[in-house]
Amino acid sequence: MKKKVGFKTLGCRLNQFETDALASKFVGLGYEVAEDSRNADVFVVNTCTVTNQSDQKSRSVVNKAINQGHTGMMIITGCMANHHKEQLEKRYPNAYVVNNEQKSAIPQLVEAHFNKEILPANESKGGVFSYVPAAETFHTRSMIKIQDGCDNYCTFCIIPKVRGRAVSRSVDDILENIRQVVGFGYKEVVITGVNISRYLSDGVGFSGLLKQIVDIDLDFRVRISSIEPDSFDDDFFKLLEHPKITPHLHLCLQSASESVLLQMRRMYTYKLYKRIVEKLRNINPLFNITTDIIVGFPGETESDFAQSLSALEELGFGHVHTFKYSKREDTRAARMTKVIDEREKSKRSELMRQKSLHAKIKYRQQFIGQSLSVLIDTVKDDFSKGYGEYYVPVKINQKLEKNHLHTLTITGIETGGDDPCLIAERIAL
Amino acid sequence: MGKEVPVANKIKTDLHEILDIRHLTDSTFVLRIEKKDLDFEAGQHVCVGPPNGIHTREYSIYSAEQDDCLEILVKEVENGLVSPSLKKVQKGGYVVVEEPVGYFTINKDLPADQKYVFIASGTGISPFHSFVKSKSNLNYTLLHGVKKADEAYDSDVYEKGKYVLCTSQDTKGDYNGRVTSYLKDNKFGTDVHYYLCGNCNMIHDVYDILEEQGVSTDNIHAEVYF
Ligand SMILES: Cc1cc2nc3c(=O)[nH]c(=O)nc-3n(C[C@H](O)[C@H](O)[C@H](O)COP(=O)(O)OP(=O)(O)OC[C@H]3O[C@@H](n4cnc5c(N)ncnc54)[C@H](O)[C@@H]3O)c2cc1C
Repeated sequence: MKKKVGFKTLGCRLNQFETDALASKFVGLGYEVAEDSRNADVFVVNTCTVTNQSDQKSRSVVNKAINQGHTGMMIITGCMANHHKEQLEKRYPNAYVVNNEQKSAIPQLVEAHFNKEILPANESKGGVFSYVPAAETFHTRSMIKIQDGCDNYCTFCIIPKVRGRAVSRSVDDILENIRQVVGFGYKEVVITGVNISRYLSDGVGFSGLLKQIVDIDLDFRVRISSIEPDSFDDDFFKLLEHPKITPHLHLCLQSASESVLLQMRRMYTYKLYKRIVEKLRNINPLFNITTDIIVGFPGETESDFAQSLSALEELGFGHVHTFKYSKREDTRAARMTKVIDEREKSKRSELMRQKSLHAKIKYRQQFIGQSLSVLIDTVKDDFSKGYGEYYVPVKINQKLEKNHLHTLTITGIETGGDDPCLIAERIAL
Repeated sequence: MGKEVPVANKIKTDLHEILDIRHLTDSTFVLRIEKKDLDFEAGQHVCVGPPNGIHTREYSIYSAEQDDCLEILVKEVENGLVSPSLKKVQKGGYVVVEEPVGYFTINKDLPADQKYVFIASGTGISPFHSFVKSKSNLNYTLLHGVKKADEAYDSDVYEKGKYVLCTSQDTKGDYNGRVTSYLKDNKFGTDVHYYLCGNCNMIHDVYDILEEQGVSTDNIHAEVYF
């Protein structure tokens, strides 16, 4: 069924013009368009702020939609969004408040929302990592947001348009946040942001920040989440040897073909990526490197794709998140011409998925016979589950204390699903 | 909880007056725009578009950091959306400009006498023009690959001997052939920092040649236009 987007426009003709332009963009994307919020999946209020009265009118449109039971996505844009952004975000915590400069990117924002790539700005505040449900993280691992936005402008990515320019949180704030959550009982902090390797605050870069984090005199471990392989220095590799830092990186590759990487405007080559992997495996031969790969990017030839496939074996990934390329309006890639047929994309995606599952099992099997320090996050009647320092799931047929690190010996691997769990030996309690 | 975590800076956009349009060839022109308070680092780009539309495109900044206006060098792309409309704008009119961004800049930690080789195709010369005009005493060689010699945009700006015009479709350049052939015939060494800017195919081929010559990827920096 078609998704429905409703609009209400207040104020000047420019606003009306912009609403019309937006509406036609949505129609182009396959949405049904309506002039109110009823049964709408998305409701866009294009506000005006020229007088107090227009502020009031704008607010009453939003309130009315909510009172009439609108539970879908709410977007408040227009001049009032520019002038009273914070106030609106406070008052309507579930709404996206989009200023005029970003109004044209609303269709992309909506798609990103439905793809679960983003949340309203307010929900991403306070160190909550946007893609992990809070309940799951509660008292196990805490997401520490260190920056937002990205200035890389990869040709397939809409994030700079919907998220905005890179901005970093101050070192003191981050350290204070970590002390606080460790005080609450968290045993693991996950460093997160849109492009964390470009962290820069008052002259302190990512490695400098990481050094100060591991120097905090408290008992916790640090996981670095998704990171771009484009600006590592020697200090970073040295820090990875620190006992507080877990041996796992989600290092986004996207493609192993040099020409596709250039078309994507990625800031590294496959050769550089390989060198990084070698360095990581020199630090620890079991270092878990997980990644994202896009298949079917415009112009990706059979041979480009084959290079990405062989990278799975060459680099021994612990997990690969495969994305079938999908066109995002207003990105440079959307204007590329050598589009890959949908069926071919599906075929490549399935091949990649099968091969990456194979690689994952092969990687995980190496842990049989080894001891892992497992942070238990799920306890059921007859088993407990958690993640070891390498971020590989471990299961044990025994009730263990939640949110504690347990040293467990791995005896086997449960195969069958997409996420084969390691099995641990029972321990004396 | 501590203080609020910053949410990404919304991209700042503003209307800037067009101060001048200088046509270099039938299709390529320099747009001089009011700078307002936009500071930038040579090598960065801005997104620019016509004032009445919602589309913008990236353009490397052509002018120097210290200039009191902004310049971009634009080639009109046939059947393109934004570049043909930028060609039509008039002095005294306006364009939409987003704040400068990008990492294709000179690493400040490198020694002052560092040797650079800049390799451009077509309008890919733009950031190098900005490097050279912004930084005095830059130790560089600029290889400019074009089809015909009339595309040697503002070549008189560069010191004699530092600019090599490589023309692939006429013999009026300093070198008759592509920049890739020039590089194969003329090695610059492994201590040099190479900056590559322009179309993807040129950048791809130059990477291969440099790596074959033993240049580390740490010394190669690329800005892909299309
Ligand atoms: C970081 C960055 C900096 C850039 N700097 C400059 C610059 O300084 N000067 C400049 O002229 N352009 C520059 N570009 C290219 C520019 O952003 C636009 O792509 C170009 O002006 C075409 O836009 P358009 O809307 O007219 O065409 P579109 O409608 O976007 O595209 C039409 C087609 O033309 C192709 N194309 C894009 N650029 C060119 C080109 N130069 N020659 C031939 N084909 C092309 C595209 O791949 C596309 O298939 C830069 C691009 C990037 C990513």
